[in-house]
Amino acid sequence: MNGASPNPSAAALQARFGGAIVGASVSCGDTIVVVARERAHEILRWLKETPGEAYDYLVDVTAVEYRDRERPLEVVYQLWSLPRRVFLRLKVELPKQEPLAVDSVVDLWRGADWLEREVYDMFGIAFRGHPDLRRILMWDGYAEGHPLRKDFPLRGRFSRAEQVRQALTKTPEAHHSVEELAVAEAFQQLSNDARQKLERAGGPGGA
Amino acid sequence: MDVKPGAVAAGGDAAAGLISSPNWITSRLDDLVNWSRANSLWPMPFFPACCAIEFMATAASRYDISRFGMERLGYTPRQADVLICAGRVPFKLAPMLRRIWDQMPQPKWCISVGACASSGGIFDTYAMVQGIDAIIPVDVYIPGCPPRPEGILYGIMLLQKKIKGESILDPTLRVEQLPDERGMFLRPAAVDELSEPFGNSVHQTRSA
Amino acid sequence: MGEKRTLELELATPGVDAEGRPIRVPLGVAEGRRAAAPDLRSELMLINIGPQHPATHGVLRLVVELDGEVVSRVIPHIGYLHSGFEKLGEYRHYNQIIPLTDRTDYLAAPSNNVALALAAEKLMGITITPRCTVLRVIACEMSRIMSHLVWAGTTAIDLGAFTVFLWAWQPREGIYDLLEEWCGARLTTSLTRVGGMMADVPEGWTARLRTWLQGLPKTLDEVDTMLARNGIWLGRTQDIGVVSAEEAVNRSLSGPMLRASGVAYDVRKDRPYLGYETYDFEVPIGEHGDVYDRYLVRMEEMRQSVKILHQALDRLPEGPVNAEDPRVILPPKHRAMSDMEAMIYHFKQVMEGVSAPVGEAYMAVESPKGELGNYFVSDGTAKPVRWRIRPPSFINLQALPFMAQGHLLSDLIAINASVDIVMGEIDR
Repeated sequence: MNGASPNPSAAALQARFGGAIVGASVSCGDTIVVVARERAHEILRWLKETPGEAYDYLVDVTAVEYRDRERPLEVVYQLWSLPRRVFLRLKVELPKQEPLAVDSVVDLWRGADWLEREVYDMFGIAFRGHPDLRRILMWDGYAEGHPLRKDFPLRGRFSRAEQVRQALTKTPEAHHSVEELAVAEAFQQLSNDARQKLERAGGPGGA
Repeated sequence: MDVKPGAVAAGGDAAAGLISSPNWITSRLDDLVNWSRANSLWPMPFFPACCAIEFMATAASRYDISRFGMERLGYTPRQADVLICAGRVPFKLAPMLRRIWDQMPQPKWCISVGACASSGGIFDTYAMVQGIDAIIPVDVYIPGCPPRPEGILYGIMLLQKKIKGESILDPTLRVEQLPDERGMFLRPAAVDELSEPFGNSVHQTRSA
Repeated sequence: MGEKRTLELELATPGVDAEGRPIRVPLGVAEGRRAAAPDLRSELMLINIGPQHPATHGVLRLVVELDGEVVSRVIPHIGYLHSGFEKLGEYRHYNQIIPLTDRTDYLAAPSNNVALALAAEKLMGITITPRCTVLRVIACEMSRIMSHLVWAGTTAIDLGAFTVFLWAWQPREGIYDLLEEWCGARLTTSLTRVGGMMADVPEGWTARLRTWLQGLPKTLDEVDTMLARNGIWLGRTQDIGVVSAEEAVNRSLSGPMLRASGVAYDVRKDRPYLGYETYDFEVPIGEHGDVYDRYLVRMEEMRQSVKILHQALDRLPEGPVNAEDPRVILPPKHRAMSDMEAMIYHFKQVMEGVSAPVGEAYMAVESPKGELGNYFVSDGTAKPVRWRIRPPSFINLQALPFMAQGHLLSDLIAINASVDIVMGEIDR
């Protein structure tokens, strides 16, 4: 199946964006286009809004870290065109020595909101311009790191006793989103670093 | 199926001196109290995951849990006798489980349904409590992934059997567990020991 | 689904005016309600629902900002069932991941098993046998029915009708019996293997499935009799949680959530797998995108699944269920014990697992909740570098704040139920 002809969108992207297209390949019948990080948002907008492309449905946003420590992380966008019934995978490579950040696509697809938060939670990749970028599956203030990174051990970094202790000393009713804090006036219950992070982001009620 | 002795008694030593010897009146009273307690257990369902679906099957048409006087699934811990934890409990959920247990009035019991609640099951990962007995005391463990409704009913019957063996003269049974200064209910070494991997753990395959 | 709504309810609350005459306050749309109420917007109230609450269908936590009884904002908190599936998958052989998929969407385990096997086979370039293809279709459609039955039952409980739950559980127990005969488990089936199935169906099983199929439409009709024209049900579900087609696409909704809004996207039709293009079935589409349409879509999907199951049983071919590929399929026990070559294959598979070529594959199926995708990245070893589940109810749930805004708190429960969430899949 690897010999299947690539999706014509790959050639169209090459023609339109030239140097911003790092590479294109076909794996298991799906076309993969790797694009430059700075122009990824622009390219995704073009793919969504150009009539001939019409990738209007964002299937998934995720990330991949390889076992090869030298290889860059990849942010993966799976796109589907509802009218044209075509599938395309777009990738952005993030070298590990640079800050892991890419532009958010929540302004293009509202559906990217939680998907990007999950990637942030699991890989520590920041999405610039995301309206509410905070952990989603692990709790706010989770101290062990980003679980899906390859240097994160399967059982976590702490001993089981320490994990249980940290879990039991959490406040179950803690509020974490800016909106809740603004209403609940619960800003004080946050940990110091979380409070500073929110203050930098405009503070409760300020955003 | 394993039946553990009653709740860990923090103040147990002082209370032990109060036990007077059983006599005809107390043993008759025990029989009456235990009979009524065992046959009208009000469960507090704590249903995070898959085992809950089998518990729903137990409560539904074919298996009909009301035969055991337990059809009143309360969902309010303050009016419940037995906490049924059916499903895996991640660390993020652990304080809720503990709080629900603390909110339940005495006398109270706990059934741990399924492999994940009892031992972490196949999820020997960074996110999962390796058995809820690191968080709350458990009376009956029901094995299975998930256990069949018959297994759940058998676990309930085991709990009823256990209740029928209790005595009102034993104050250690009703002593609440209190947290130590670290906020834990067991010694860290005990938690680590309870959480040791076994069986189907990541040690099973070492090929990569 | 073109049927017109014949029952229009006018809900009203009686009250009295200054002269003591009864007045009627319209309880129609949110704007009307806001306008009719006196201005009490001095303070918003924050209430917390969950994570242990019967109406959140698992361990979902909703922080709701209320203006009186009107929801002004919902902030869902998830992750209370995060178990590390994707991390664990990186430490498992492809076949060992299949038991994990049982426990993601545990209401419809067989379709998860099929989804994972299809993704691994796409990655490895394995062709499955015709009998296996049809058996997998049967597994998928059975899981659609069993998931939607639970949905109908639990949603009805949330809206105050307990009987539907008991009625819906009867045919579900029938499916449990059939699955148990097939694979030995009721709920966590692990039905598939890469390149085949864990077992062929036993003798006489197809006849028993047919008998069960004959009984199901009666149950569905009964549920419809209870709900589809029930004044309370209509009042609680119609025009509640409306999502337009554009919004639904923009929010990446899938499955019945998307189709109730009128978008005819069904992976079985748009990206056919397992030969779905050769089956004769319809994809039901809603018009209004509200809770009631989602109910209608799911009920009709069950009827269509019955249709597909009949066709699959008619065409079920004889032959082997496992592919003739010694790389991935264990040789039969008698050959592994007597034949040197078979023994080597057996040893290598058990000890080293099945290695996939370098590459990546995304394979989506139409699970009962929506588009369930499995994305594998392989570096040539027997364990994936990355196993990603595209969880349909995770993505569907994130539209909840949008849908619930401006509705009553009690409607939030109906809207949440209509998403058909299962926390095992959302939190993974």
